Amino acid sequence: MRRLFSGIVSLTMLLSGCASPSLENTSRLDLIKKRGELICGVSGKIPGFSFLESDGSYQGLDVDICKAFAAAIIGDSERIQYRPLTAAERFTAIKTGEIDLLSRNTTFTLSRDSVGGNGLTFAPVVFHDGQGLMVKKESGVNSLEDLANKSICVGSGTTTEQNINDAFESASLPYTPIKYQDLNQVVAGYLQGRCSAMTSDRSQLAAARSGFKNPTEHIILDAVLSKEPLAPASDGQDQKLADAMRWVVYALISAEEQGITKSNIDEKVQLAKNNPQLKPLRRFLGIDGGLGEKLGLSNDFVVQIISTTGNYGEIYEKHLGKNSQVPIPRGLNELYTKGGVYVSPPFN
Amino acid sequence: MKLYSIMIFFKKLKKNIFLNFFNTILSLVILLTTLLVCLNTFRWFIFNADWRVVTSNLSLYAFGSFPSDEQWRPAIWITSLLLLSIITLCGPCWKWIQQNLLLAWMSTIPLGLYLLYGGFGLSPIMSRHLGGLTLTILLTVCSSLLSLPFGIVLALGRQSSLPLIQKLSSIYIDVMRAIPLIAVLFFGQLLIPLFLPVGIEIDRVWRAIFAFTLFVSAYIAEDIRGGLQSIPNTQIEAAHSLGLNQYQIMQLIIIPQALRIALPALTNQAIGLFQNTSLMAILGLVELLGIGRSILANPEFIGQYIEVYVWLACVYWLVCTIMAILARHLEQTMTINQTNF
Repeated sequence: MRRLFSGIVSLTMLLSGCASPSLENTSRLDLIKKRGELICGVSGKIPGFSFLESDGSYQGLDVDICKAFAAAIIGDSERIQYRPLTAAERFTAIKTGEIDLLSRNTTFTLSRDSVGGNGLTFAPVVFHDGQGLMVKKESGVNSLEDLANKSICVGSGTTTEQNINDAFESASLPYTPIKYQDLNQVVAGYLQGRCSAMTSDRSQLAAARSGFKNPTEHIILDAVLSKEPLAPASDGQDQKLADAMRWVVYALISAEEQGITKSNIDEKVQLAKNNPQLKPLRRFLGIDGGLGEKLGLSNDFVVQIISTTGNYGEIYEKHLGKNSQVPIPRGLNELYTKGGVYVSPPFN
Repeated sequence: MKLYSIMIFFKKLKKNIFLNFFNTILSLVILLTTLLVCLNTFRWFIFNADWRVVTSNLSLYAFGSFPSDEQWRPAIWITSLLLLSIITLCGPCWKWIQQNLLLAWMSTIPLGLYLLYGGFGLSPIMSRHLGGLTLTILLTVCSSLLSLPFGIVLALGRQSSLPLIQKLSSIYIDVMRAIPLIAVLFFGQLLIPLFLPVGIEIDRVWRAIFAFTLFVSAYIAEDIRGGLQSIPNTQIEAAHSLGLNQYQIMQLIIIPQALRIALPALTNQAIGLFQNTSLMAILGLVELLGIGRSILANPEFIGQYIEVYVWLACVYWLVCTIMAILARHLEQTMTINQTNF
């Protein structure tokens, strides 16, 4: 009996010894560079954000964000392992180190960010989703007020139902909710003409609409009923990686502010090299200042990113823009100069 | 002669479905409904359905995102499994084929693991590239192979005369049968990585295989216990009087007979396991159902749920049918062997 007991004790000590290797000093960032490959958690099931192409490759806005990180950290946007994750698995996968970072339609909230909650760190928001309304173009409805006394199809028992109720009550408009169990039924009810409008997250509305026979006959209203800021996330303990992620996203936004695109990046680099007086541009493109090294990246990380994925506007246009298959109006996702909320702190 | 048989046919028809007014009405209504449903289904299949979502993604359904220049590897594995099934079912009865069949079936598993994971001359492939039908078959084959010996041990343990072993086995079996499979799978995918120390990581595919094994072996143990209990005590007494020891009795007399009796139930478990692997789709593995859902998220194919699910149903049906026919064949050959004694 005593031997059994001491066996258990020593086994526990052995396991706990394994459990606390001194990983605090080595950042995940160095691990990624050493491995030469980025492990990126994605959803794989959201049209426009991450989905499987027929040739077996992943595409979408979330996937392009992964590519930007890989271009900045490794210098090669092809060296990525994508892990398709479900909503339930995603935080465990970060905590256990199964993935380096998460780029999977994750809403930035206090309890996920805080040490007392999920203990993650979020990079800047890459897509401001929110609940929206879709109506038929011919109905002539353009705003929330036009929907007074009309019926609206909504999924029951979700925050969606609560949000639409709050929005109409606070505007003191009467309306009739028609409740369905899930999104597919809501879509079916809307198409059968049982309601004048349907409501869900705007990205989901856009995805549903692109499956309609005549997508152009339906419009998504500009009114946004809730905030769902979606952002990439990583482990909260790892400040080095979190900083790198933050500035990669800011680089995408800042490049759009300065009009630097995938096609003119080489010209801009030449321009900056030939004109020493263009100080901010030289710093941004890594010719002066050594900003990249401070983050633990190469100094020309911005050039690497922009030449592979383009700036934020280009990524958005490619996957969610007017000519894409899942068109979503940019709305809040526009630069601050054009009425959106995107602004990058200075690269100094 | 021909006329006569037609007359008989009509007489039977009249007697069976047009006997009186009420029956005639009922028959006509049912016939009409069936016709209408068939016609509409047929029309949908030919005219309304857009099968591009299936045809342009065939390699995804079969191999997932396996690197395209290495896809011959899972292709060889699946083809060899198919060929072996055909040989087993309708191959010639040459003695050397019959003798080596079991060996051939057993060797498909190391062959599959070698082809899928690489090493020893083939470029290594990470399990994240596994997907589609290949992953579904891998999950089924590995978990059933692991759970069979585990199940036998549990069944024997439950029959054991040692109280500790007997109690432990029955507690394990009862607890596992009282937990839903999805809970066991969630445990495998979400909790096991949290318990493991940092840096040690079990591959997701193998976590799933272990979870399936833990669950299925409890059911297999009960199926085999049924077989064990049906063997009369007199056989054991006879074996004792022949001077066989306990181990020999188990190996030569009890287990072979128990397995044969349990075979229909074991087939049931194998087919159930094959279908249950689709639960992994909601746990983030891109097996057959998971790959279907990923393809549906491609904006090009949005909204074509019915085509994808009809196609997946056909694939599942085909594989299950092959498994069922193989099992029936195995049962028949085993009965023949028994009558020879």
